[in-house]
Amino acid sequence: MNDQKSAEVLEKISSGIEGFDDITCGGLPLGGTTLLTGTAGSGKTVLALQILVSAADHHGTPGIFVAFEENARRVAANGATFGWNMGMLEGKELFFVDACVRSDVVKSGAFDLTGLLAALEAKADEMGAKLIVFDAIDVLLGLLNDPAAECRELYRLHDWLTLHNLTGILTTKIEDGEPGISPRYGFMPFLADCTVLLSQRVAERMAVRAMRVLKYRGSPHVLNEVPFVIGPAGVEVGSSNGVHPEPQPFDEKVSTGVERLDAMLCGGIYRGTNVLITGSSGGGKSTLAGAFVEAACLRDERALFISFDENSRDIVRDLATMSIDLAPHLQSGLLRMEALRTEAVSSEEHFMHIKRMITQQHPRCVAVDPLSALARVGGGLAARSVAERLIYLCRNKGITVLFTSLLEGTDPHLETTTLHVSTISDSWIQISYALLDGERNRALSIIKSRGSKHSNQLRELIFSDTGITLADPYTAGGEVLMGTLRHEKENGVNLDRGNGK
Amino acid sequence: MSNAPSAGDEPKGAYVFRLYLAGGAPNSVRAFANLYAICRKHFPGSHRIEVIDVLKEPLRALGEAILVTPTVVKLSPLPEQQIIGDLSEEEEVLRALGLPQKTNR
Repeated sequence: MNDQKSAEVLEKISSGIEGFDDITCGGLPLGGTTLLTGTAGSGKTVLALQILVSAADHHGTPGIFVAFEENARRVAANGATFGWNMGMLEGKELFFVDACVRSDVVKSGAFDLTGLLAALEAKADEMGAKLIVFDAIDVLLGLLNDPAAECRELYRLHDWLTLHNLTGILTTKIEDGEPGISPRYGFMPFLADCTVLLSQRVAERMAVRAMRVLKYRGSPHVLNEVPFVIGPAGVEVGSSNGVHPEPQPFDEKVSTGVERLDAMLCGGIYRGTNVLITGSSGGGKSTLAGAFVEAACLRDERALFISFDENSRDIVRDLATMSIDLAPHLQSGLLRMEALRTEAVSSEEHFMHIKRMITQQHPRCVAVDPLSALARVGGGLAARSVAERLIYLCRNKGITVLFTSLLEGTDPHLETTTLHVSTISDSWIQISYALLDGERNRALSIIKSRGSKHSNQLRELIFSDTGITLADPYTAGGEVLMGTLRHEKENGVNLDRGNGK
Repeated sequence: MSNAPSAGDEPKGAYVFRLYLAGGAPNSVRAFANLYAICRKHFPGSHRIEVIDVLKEPLRALGEAILVTPTVVKLSPLPEQQIIGDLSEEEEVLRALGLPQKTNR
């Protein structure tokens, strides 16, 4: 039976979780055994339950959940908190078996799983179940307390699944601190067709979850560890890059919301690309972000403004002083503003949250202010991966994005030390302070703009109650004049003109 | 449990067991023999054994949370006690039933 199956193309059953299907190249092996292993609290039960419920709810595949450790009712209640359709338990699509080992049970001599499997077989026949979860199978096996017997029973279980063409998901706990599979159950991965290791660790005080497909018999799979979160709707896996095809590039240009900046960029930025704005504190990055989303709304495009550690109402109020009026767009629903708290969750959870918002709102333009906030939580490497995936996600959806990034210090190339996103950004605008003649003026320059011509001038950035603009460049002796000096020069030119007449 | 076998056949204070077996599996056959022997020795004339073949009544085992076979449940006298295995370790069985064990040596 096994030989016959391996000769065919491996059929898979979708997990119902996009990222999980990505890393397993399609889902679980149909009619095979999948092992989910990880430390206590790593999310094994939730993942197994989610796959089971999703298969029943979305694909009409009935399933059985056998709970060896937790009370089955509690497991079901847990599922309901994610908004899953646990009502199916009333019907024929889902069945939970309370198989908690009684604490007062006495052992005397040999026993095996024949009875349980016979019972499950009858139940599976009755409801036409195709999928079966054995949650915390190690608890049951531990009852045997004999490695040889445990191995024998696990093979019995595996053979039973194969014989009845049932797709099995087994979860087992591994002890904390062990790098891989507990040596006690070292044979398990060999027996399973697909083995996934779930882990949870703390990086810079932030809990970070990750999973890795250790093996997948007869199927390609993503070898790397990928991050995942348990969000309000269950497990979300941060799928790897490059799985999705790149979208067609747009020829259309999108306004930045600042007319003169568009001119410097030869018409704006390409739709579906991203622009990074770097600068030190108070440089005006958020204001440019506000102008960008306002311009989008004025074009009747949905926009999303994500800010970190700043109240949306304050942002709207501050922008209003510069004639950037977001309030009507918020009211019409064209604009959605979301203020996130950096330290509340890991960068990975921020990413999943942003991804959810994008999926819900379908914005054509997104501003993230500042993206560098992500670098403060969950470790630099994780944050970088998140920033990258956010950029790829938007690129794949054809969303035009404006990111800001806070610079520490004055060297613009220091940006590369925080998130390294400048290397993958399509356009890069730098705002700096120019100190000249006892004045501090804002200066804007375009460091790069992929696939497009752009001005290489350094221009003074002017914020006023009538809006944002860039001053005409005036140079004297190779220096760009700004502030009072520019003003004098401008007036001087005008005076000269006046005298000439 | 409410679905205990109806009393009446056996005298008051009798031992009532329910034994879950998996057909003629060797450990099931041994469990039956061992339980029968223990009963004859320790509760002569005041015991009853109800045998349930899980292969014939599979859904019943699910409802009664029977995970492995063989399993014996002492229904009476209370409290209920579950013993798993072929009952080959008599000492353990007697301890679980609250009976004086044979002195070692």
